[in-house]
Amino acid sequence: MSESAILTENLTRTFGALTAVDGINLSVTAGQFFGFLGPNGAGKSTTIKMLTGLLAPTSGRIRLLGMDFAADPVAVKRQIGVVPEGMGLFERLTGSEYLNFVGRMYGLDREISKRRSDELLHFMQLADRPKSVIADYSHGMQKKLALAAAVIHGPRILFLDEPFEGVDALAAGALKALLARMTERGVTIFLTSHVLEIVERLCSHVAIIHKGRLVAQGSLDELRAGVSARVSSDDSAPRTLEQIFLSIVGQGGGTQSQLEELSWLT
Amino acid sequence: MADVTSGPGIFAQIRLVAELRWRILGNLVRKRNSRLDLIGLILAAGFASMFVIGLCGLFWWGAYFSVSTGHFAWLLLLFWSICLFWQAFPLFVAGFGAPFEFRTLLRFPLRFSAFYIIGLAYGLADFAAVCGTCWMLSVAVGVGMARLALFPPALLVIFLFIWMNITLERLLSSWFERLLARRRTRELLFGLFILLSVSAQFLRPAIIRYSEGARSSVSVLRVISYLSPFPPSLAGSAVIAAGEGHPSRFLISVGALMAYTAVLSALLWRRFAAQYRGEELSEASAPLQTVRGLSPTLTKERFDALGFLSPQLAAILTKEIKYLARNGFVLISLLMPPLLVLLFTSQFAGKHPSVTHARISADSFFPGMMGYLILMLMTPAYNCFAYEGKGIRNYYTSPVRFREVLLAKNLMYAAILIFEIVLSTALLSLRIGLPSGPVLAATILALVFAIAGQFTIADWVSLSFPRKLEYGSMRGQRGSGVSIWIAFGVQILLAGICTLILFAGRWTGNPWFPSEAFAVLAVASLGGYFAALDALSVVAEKKKEVLIETLSK
Repeated sequence: MSESAILTENLTRTFGALTAVDGINLSVTAGQFFGFLGPNGAGKSTTIKMLTGLLAPTSGRIRLLGMDFAADPVAVKRQIGVVPEGMGLFERLTGSEYLNFVGRMYGLDREISKRRSDELLHFMQLADRPKSVIADYSHGMQKKLALAAAVIHGPRILFLDEPFEGVDALAAGALKALLARMTERGVTIFLTSHVLEIVERLCSHVAIIHKGRLVAQGSLDELRAGVSARVSSDDSAPRTLEQIFLSIVGQGGGTQSQLEELSWLT
Repeated sequence: MADVTSGPGIFAQIRLVAELRWRILGNLVRKRNSRLDLIGLILAAGFASMFVIGLCGLFWWGAYFSVSTGHFAWLLLLFWSICLFWQAFPLFVAGFGAPFEFRTLLRFPLRFSAFYIIGLAYGLADFAAVCGTCWMLSVAVGVGMARLALFPPALLVIFLFIWMNITLERLLSSWFERLLARRRTRELLFGLFILLSVSAQFLRPAIIRYSEGARSSVSVLRVISYLSPFPPSLAGSAVIAAGEGHPSRFLISVGALMAYTAVLSALLWRRFAAQYRGEELSEASAPLQTVRGLSPTLTKERFDALGFLSPQLAAILTKEIKYLARNGFVLISLLMPPLLVLLFTSQFAGKHPSVTHARISADSFFPGMMGYLILMLMTPAYNCFAYEGKGIRNYYTSPVRFREVLLAKNLMYAAILIFEIVLSTALLSLRIGLPSGPVLAATILALVFAIAGQFTIADWVSLSFPRKLEYGSMRGQRGSGVSIWIAFGVQILLAGICTLILFAGRWTGNPWFPSEAFAVLAVASLGGYFAALDALSVVAEKKKEVLIETLSK
């Protein structure tokens, strides 16, 4: 049996009376490209924040690469890379300065950090504005920089919260190729995105969270088979991830009734 | 096809915008949920009202006095001073931050005429315009009370003058908008404002020392006489002509004032038309230096001055240095301590003290001045994550303990403090000489005690009561109410302890007693600081959600 890169046990997070994440048990095998899906407010970002140390769980355990996050967070953080929600960049640094900063924070030698920064800036096509501070970058450029920062230290697990949002098609293609190569080399990628086509194309395994609870987890084929078993006729059997997703978390007929309310618009 | 067949009229559009502004103001007040902040806001509003009303009285009296005593020339001074304030003040405060941008309204089907009128109305809603209008009306009342027959022509002239000022202010603001679209320009303008404010403090000592009874008011009136073709002189001349019974001169002056207003209106119409067509000025439009084809191998290797530190500590310190170098406000504020040392030495010590006749000795002045420097320079340390923004997450996702983050930030503050203290000490020694050996040693050790002691508390306050500050903006840029009060309390307490120990040297007759006492306290304070770093790391972990949420807003 393969080693679990990410393992959570009854992971729960509450905010006052609201339970944002309700006892989820995730298991992601090393080297998987894992898609984490859910509607708005389902608890995706809260989960990813807990997995990356940005948010303390109310209860439950997180083990990354076999290490207990709570016991030795510094050792765990050395092995992971993160593109958090909102990116979390130091906007008054230039792209090169920021990458150097991140490299050094992960303990890279100054020379290695500089060399990798230059290479990543070239790969991300960000090298032609060396004097611009990040605040002057476009949203897509900031996203690419956040991705570069997440991989500069060669992480074994990569957490990506909406990584392709605002990134142009050219760069997105290069990034997808890069991520695919990383998984081939054993890196685990944990990705959230609202663009289901991207998840379907990139991810081998998927989990769906809805109202704080994990409602599905497995490979795409397993999910497809699971949903097919629930519907009676072959014609309505889901084929795409979007259909699987809607059949699991969709509110049957809800969209039609909502459209009827907006008849003045349609 | 859209359901809207006809847009709202001009007045309906203006009313909508007025309601929008009122709601924005209301929401701003509502957001200040902290009681301390609300008290601060009320106090600021009270002071502003006192400023406006107080000067209303002064302008009323000035106008009444000049007309009733026949010193009409003084009216020119009133018109000029109001006009200068009206035009200069908005340009300076524009650097303090971007208020509601009325051009965003262009996304709606707004007619150009409505856009123009709203633009002018915005001019009337400025603080400077409210002040100017109140003061001009006070002048009109003063003139009318001194001589009732002069009230109608004065009111006409003042109405025209107010219109001209609003138009001119909007025009200048729209031109400056091009410059202020760039962050660096905004910061420089703010710096200029601070430097001018501080420099103005030198006027009094300079006047006292060099004027020797010269009548500066007469000189000002002489200068104004050369400015007769300009609107403030024309407005004043029109009232004077009416008062002296010269209808032709009155008509010429009023006509010239109207011509100015018409020309300025035409220019403003052109500017607004350009904006209406979709001219966009923004930070992104600032020219950027681009370098194509930069090869990784071309980057020069530089000497690593921070090589003796751990990579994490060096990285954070480097980042802090870059942030400091790019923060025009903070950089310029570093000029304040030496400037204030010069100011205070000119007032209380040195060869020509302007406030006290007997100069204060270096033994008394030096510790006091150093205490004042600490009071000024340590305050930002109580909100040391203020400029991190969303970047704060880096400290939590990186494999680094928070003690290193705090240590790096404190090192940066310590470096700034040492630089400022050395510079100010050099200036003090030039101006008033150095204090005696025991006082110098005691003061330096007291500084170590006060700085290390404050770092521990300031770090805890920074983690517990963070407040996000914006680069290139002055509006609302202050720490949370709680952190300000704690900083104030701690500094008062430390100042009290230090003063007591310094005086104990005199009472005991042992001049080295304060040095010995401060040496013990400094060691204890430094030990406490390093011991507390781990505990503060735990606090940082507990407070991370609040910290991230507050700074990422």
